[in-house]
Amino acid sequence: MKALVLLSDGRHPVSGRPAPAGTELQAIALARGLTEEVAGLYAGPDAAAARTALGHGLARLEHRRLPEGDDPLPSLAAAIAAAAPDLVLAGRRAGAGAQTGLVPYQLAEALGWPLVPDVVALTVADGVLEAVQALPKGARRRWRVKLPALVTVHPAAPVAASFAIGMARSGHVEDAPGIDAPQDGTALEERPYRPRPRLIASAAAGASAAERLKAATQSAGPGGRVMVDPTPEEAARAILEHLRALGVLKPAPGRD
Amino acid sequence: MSRTRRDPREEREARRLAGSGRPRWRLDAPPTSGRLRRDPRREIDALRVAGTTRLRLDRTGRAGPLALPTIDTAAVAAPTIRIVDDPAYLVTVVPDAPGGRLAPLDRQLLGAARTLADAGGGAVLVLSFGQIDGLGAAGADRIVALDAESGDPSARAAALAIALAALQPRHMLLPESAGGGDLARRLAAKTGEALFAGAESLTARLATRPAANRRIEQRGAPPRLVTLAPDAHLPHAGAPHEARAIAAPEGRADAPHTGILSIEDLPVAADALPLAEADFVISAGNGITDFELFRALARALGATPGASRMVCDAGLMPRAAQVGASGTVLEASCYFALGISGAPQHLQGVARCEHVVAVNTDLHAAMVERAGLAIIADAQQVMPALIALLTAEGEE
Ligand SMILES: Cc1cc2nc3c(=O)[nH]c(=O)nc-3n(C[C@H](O)[C@H](O)[C@H](O)COP(=O)(O)OP(=O)(O)OC[C@H]3O[C@@H](n4cnc5c(N)ncnc54)[C@H](O)[C@@H]3O)c2cc1C
Ligand SMILES: Nc1ncnc2c1ncn2[C@@H]1O[C@H](COP(=O)(O)O)[C@@H](O)[C@H]1O
Repeated sequence: MKALVLLSDGRHPVSGRPAPAGTELQAIALARGLTEEVAGLYAGPDAAAARTALGHGLARLEHRRLPEGDDPLPSLAAAIAAAAPDLVLAGRRAGAGAQTGLVPYQLAEALGWPLVPDVVALTVADGVLEAVQALPKGARRRWRVKLPALVTVHPAAPVAASFAIGMARSGHVEDAPGIDAPQDGTALEERPYRPRPRLIASAAAGASAAERLKAATQSAGPGGRVMVDPTPEEAARAILEHLRALGVLKPAPGRD
Repeated sequence: MSRTRRDPREEREARRLAGSGRPRWRLDAPPTSGRLRRDPRREIDALRVAGTTRLRLDRTGRAGPLALPTIDTAAVAAPTIRIVDDPAYLVTVVPDAPGGRLAPLDRQLLGAARTLADAGGGAVLVLSFGQIDGLGAAGADRIVALDAESGDPSARAAALAIALAALQPRHMLLPESAGGGDLARRLAAKTGEALFAGAESLTARLATRPAANRRIEQRGAPPRLVTLAPDAHLPHAGAPHEARAIAAPEGRADAPHTGILSIEDLPVAADALPLAEADFVISAGNGITDFELFRALARALGATPGASRMVCDAGLMPRAAQVGASGTVLEASCYFALGISGAPQHLQGVARCEHVVAVNTDLHAAMVERAGLAIIADAQQVMPALIALLTAEGEE
């Protein structure tokens, strides 16, 4: 079985130096849990970030050279078609650039492969991939898809292997020209980032400190129901009814 | 000399206005006992001659006795529903609505859609997979129910692509959450539509999003397809909208991807979940003495166990279970507090919880004030009753 990990031209979030995105490194670890045949794929001008990924357990990296600002999609699709892997793993968001997380989706559409988002665990049996998707609130969803398939990796996946300089130096980089795909100039205007305040619905915006503390710690909903000194049975029934009305507790068995 | 003794409560009771709702008093009527109280302004008003701009008073007494102003004791009129009949354009919204309830981000999304629609006389149309409650109050004008037999997001994206082609909305908004973000990207890849992912501000003219590890802000007029980041827009706060259901657009969805064999939700082991991820947390405070019982109750309810700092300091629960400012800040939708007083440091950890249920012996505890349902009783006795009720239901 053959797996290919997509590596973007990442930058470290603090230092700004070339570094692969965290989920891409976790993708390498996930892929190495399935097979020994794992390669990296990067399309773009400078493979400095992708090269450091070699030190996290990749033996081979394919670099498709592209001029700055070109669309990597055609080159990636062609490289994947040529390598014919069973599984392609991508990060959730790239480590630099627009970080829209669209590339894996566009690739899956172009290749006609199924895409499983946000995976945290993978197993393969008889050409069928079993992937566990992480959902918010700790929920998990199991997908069974036929290979070949494309998955994106969630930050809750197992941690990446640590960097080993020996591996990074012995790793093999294959350099080949990519397919030029200049993008049209309808890019968005760019400015230095300005953090925006989180807008939180409360009447206390701009109010005094005491009011803001009250808004932060008190319920937004209408005033609550208070039951004074019920018998334990009454209390239990009221609590279960309330929890079921909120939908956090399954309805009682034998009732709809 | 002795004056008659007044009972102010009785006097007030005598002036209570009939009618339902909150108590109201006729405070301008003369008191039933004691000295007569004069209201010089009202007397002057009664003498005023109508029809002149200058103040003229008629002191001959022809105006008749003072007429008491009538107080309308009828309940406040029900809020009117806003109807957008002939919209100039449509703004479609695809909320996540887990379990048929709008999540906070869904409400913010509808609020953003409302501002986009109100900027030019448009209407907000919700594309829903399954029944969703409370859409009118959240600001929806129309609802289209789409087919959602399977949980396969690519099938949902196909249904959305058909709706996008048929309705030709000016904007289609999705939440930048796990489900909504995935759906939006599938839709963008399928239709080739440009996606503005994770907008942090959104108006009809300008949308902004972070890029390059939050070093760059990308900005531009919002394209058709936009996903909205959490807490970037306020929910709709105005009058409710009509939320009229209309028929789904015609169109044939392509067959689901043959490569996808099955998709199933896995059962979640609530007690193994990290607190920060849990959706339903049950928490014990200083009022709890029997922790075996508490853990059994957590298991029976399928809730993640937590605790206050007092309990963790005493070593009765692990430190990882501490809720609050110096513990875990919860994202749960429901918090069940047993014997917790609700110190500010503890309540900070519960600030984002939508619903709180409290059991406490103290009626004046801060936690009771915060709770949507508060039981003033001994938690040590309520716990076995809850377990007994749950097991009795299970045996039925
Ligand atoms: C810097 C700082 C940080 C802190 N951070 C945290 C934090 O992160 N998390 C945290 O929890 N605390 C924190 N605290 C501690 C906090 O101020 C409170 O001391 C603590 O939350 C109180 O815990 P409690 O409600 O369990 O106990 P108590 O305040 O003792 O309250 C017990 C409650 O149980 C009720 N009760 C008693 N018996 C029964 C019964 N049989 N049945 C039902 N109810 C009963 C009582 O009426 C009372 O309301 C912090 C304090 C400081 C100074
Ligand atoms: N130029 C590229 N070469 C290889 N893989 C890429 C490239 N750009 C993006 N990817 C992959 O697609 C994922 C999402 O990228 P993005 O859509 O740019 O946020 C990344 O984590 C990478 O795995």
